[in-house]
Amino acid sequence: MSIRKIIDWAIQEAKTTQTGTIASEFYEYQDASGSWVWACDVDIGEDDLLTNVPVTSNNREIYYAEEGKGVNLSRLGSGKWAITGLSKTLNSTVHYTYLTFADDMWEITHTELRGNTYRPLTYGELGTLVAPYGYGVLPYGVRGKFNADGIFFEIVER
Amino acid sequence: MRYLSAAFRDVLDGRRRRPAYKVYAWDPATVTISEIASATSSLSSSIPTPLDITPYVSEITWSDKQLSFTMVDARNLFHPDTGGYRNYLGDGAILRLVEGDEMLSETDWITSFTGQIHGQVGWKKARNTGNVMSKVSVFGRAETQAFKRRKITTREYTVGTDLGVALYDICGTYMGLTSSEVRIPFTLGRQFKHQTNQLSLVSPWEGISSLLEVVCYLPVFDGEGKLTYVNKSFQRSPAKMIEDYISCVESEVPENSQDGINKIIVKFLDATLERVDSPYQKLGEAQVTTGFFSMGEELDCWWSEDHKQRADGTTMQVVKSVNSGLLPVGTESYEQKDDFHGTIEVEISVWVPILATVMALEYVAAAFIPDNVIVFGFGGSAGVTIPLGRVLQAQAMLGIMLIMMSIGSAQYEVWGTPFDYAYLEKKSIAIEDGLAYWLESEKEINNDFIGTHDQADTIAMTELIWEKSQTRPRRIVIEDDPSLEVGDIVGIPDGRKILITGLSKKIKRGEVPSLVIDGCKVMTP
Repeated sequence: MSIRKIIDWAIQEAKTTQTGTIASEFYEYQDASGSWVWACDVDIGEDDLLTNVPVTSNNREIYYAEEGKGVNLSRLGSGKWAITGLSKTLNSTVHYTYLTFADDMWEITHTELRGNTYRPLTYGELGTLVAPYGYGVLPYGVRGKFNADGIFFEIVER
Repeated sequence: MRYLSAAFRDVLDGRRRRPAYKVYAWDPATVTISEIASATSSLSSSIPTPLDITPYVSEITWSDKQLSFTMVDARNLFHPDTGGYRNYLGDGAILRLVEGDEMLSETDWITSFTGQIHGQVGWKKARNTGNVMSKVSVFGRAETQAFKRRKITTREYTVGTDLGVALYDICGTYMGLTSSEVRIPFTLGRQFKHQTNQLSLVSPWEGISSLLEVVCYLPVFDGEGKLTYVNKSFQRSPAKMIEDYISCVESEVPENSQDGINKIIVKFLDATLERVDSPYQKLGEAQVTTGFFSMGEELDCWWSEDHKQRADGTTMQVVKSVNSGLLPVGTESYEQKDDFHGTIEVEISVWVPILATVMALEYVAAAFIPDNVIVFGFGGSAGVTIPLGRVLQAQAMLGIMLIMMSIGSAQYEVWGTPFDYAYLEKKSIAIEDGLAYWLESEKEINNDFIGTHDQADTIAMTELIWEKSQTRPRRIVIEDDPSLEVGDIVGIPDGRKILITGLSKKIKRGEVPSLVIDGCKVMTP
């Protein structure tokens, strides 16, 4: 482990703000101290969602926030992230280019487009996703994860 | 690669060299470094004649960033307090190293260093030895802290403007460089993609670095003190091929014990605002109370209290209609006026006020109709009256009451899809294939001058290859070749190539210096 690696980690640790996308409805959540706070899940562009992200108190602009909107996250003293405001930027698609290196040669092995979206399934999707059973298998309001091409990936459970 | 005259090239190729150099100094009170770098040569008539300090100079150590030498100053000419020529080695003094060959005229020589003294030079006189020595360090133009510390805010550039325009503006306005001091193409081939573009609260060096980053260039100052660039892409021919190890004095693979970067994340903001929809929902509601003669009501319905929320695909849902009574008395319609609000219109049918008016008049008129009295019995005074007028009045009252019962309050809701606009933050990631998650060592580049994913992909890939190359340092020592510059590629006898990241040498009179080339292995597809 090099000093540089440690410094990189320290820089990453010191990162105090980032943007994310609301990926669920707002719900009440009981924190460790027993208080009920409003919270939601936030997509920060990683494979997994940040869950139970609390909204900082007295933040009226979040009042209008809905699923799909961009939000600013700030790191609290405890290290946990909290929603502190609305963001004018929104995480979007990510192009991945994979390369291999051998001696003094490099080669592109493959490329990939990533970027998930989370939304409630439409009526049409509710009726067709679980073939051949049709409507009734999935409850109304169930949410799905879709990849960058808009293709259904999986059901998101809470 | 530095330009050499044909005569100089012949001397180098002929290997009959008699190396020579000169060190020139200028008093900063009489000329600026910009004027010197802009001049065609050190002896140009457009600038003051320099002081040739070559006779006093020895033990020269040269690198692309710094020039150091020892002054032997027996007559105390350069003493920082009392020397007659002290201004030529004072704070801000401008010095140049010019190298060539005794067999050539000085016009064929090259300028390998231009820089300034920062602070005060060291000067020492020892009585026991009688030596008067001065240690001088001269720093290249890129080492000027003013370029890297002062924060600037540029003017605004419109969409479609080439990035080179902003770069030349920064160089001219905030770095004091004339166009002849900049060897970067005026047109970089990349344009601003956003509607308004400004660089704000960045140092000039950060500004030009981020503009050049879009085309994978690094800014550097060359030996003549002119701003140029190093291309991070290795897709170019070598500037020099070392054919055999005879001319290669030393070849070294230095130790590198640092973890290299193996993942590059390039983040940029998409130029166009993207519409972001929220779930379909109730946007607003309205209530209305209508009367006989109101004829109609028009209600504005906004999607938010501050009138800022946008929505689309809006429709009205009638919770309670004006027609929910016995008779249909009017029409209810809704129209979205703009992204922020719509109008609910309740129109009462024309017959309602007409009928109400007629009925009211009839009620009054009927009161004037005399009652017919029919007397029964033989000459009796008692009888039964049938009040026909009251019957008509009752009919009219019934009509009015019917309307009153029919018209009242109504309640509506407007539903739709609220939306807003946001800039999409896009990413291009170049990563070493097959890397376990916990082995990723990443470097993030944020640059909003990047316009498309294709550009970002190229930058991410070029940067990753550059970083991987940096983890394979190489060092070779060859017979001095003044044409080589930082950023050049040299081919070594085994067929591999090295990108020059640093150059250094020790210069002695009458001796061909050994040029130490620090670099990294060039990686090719």
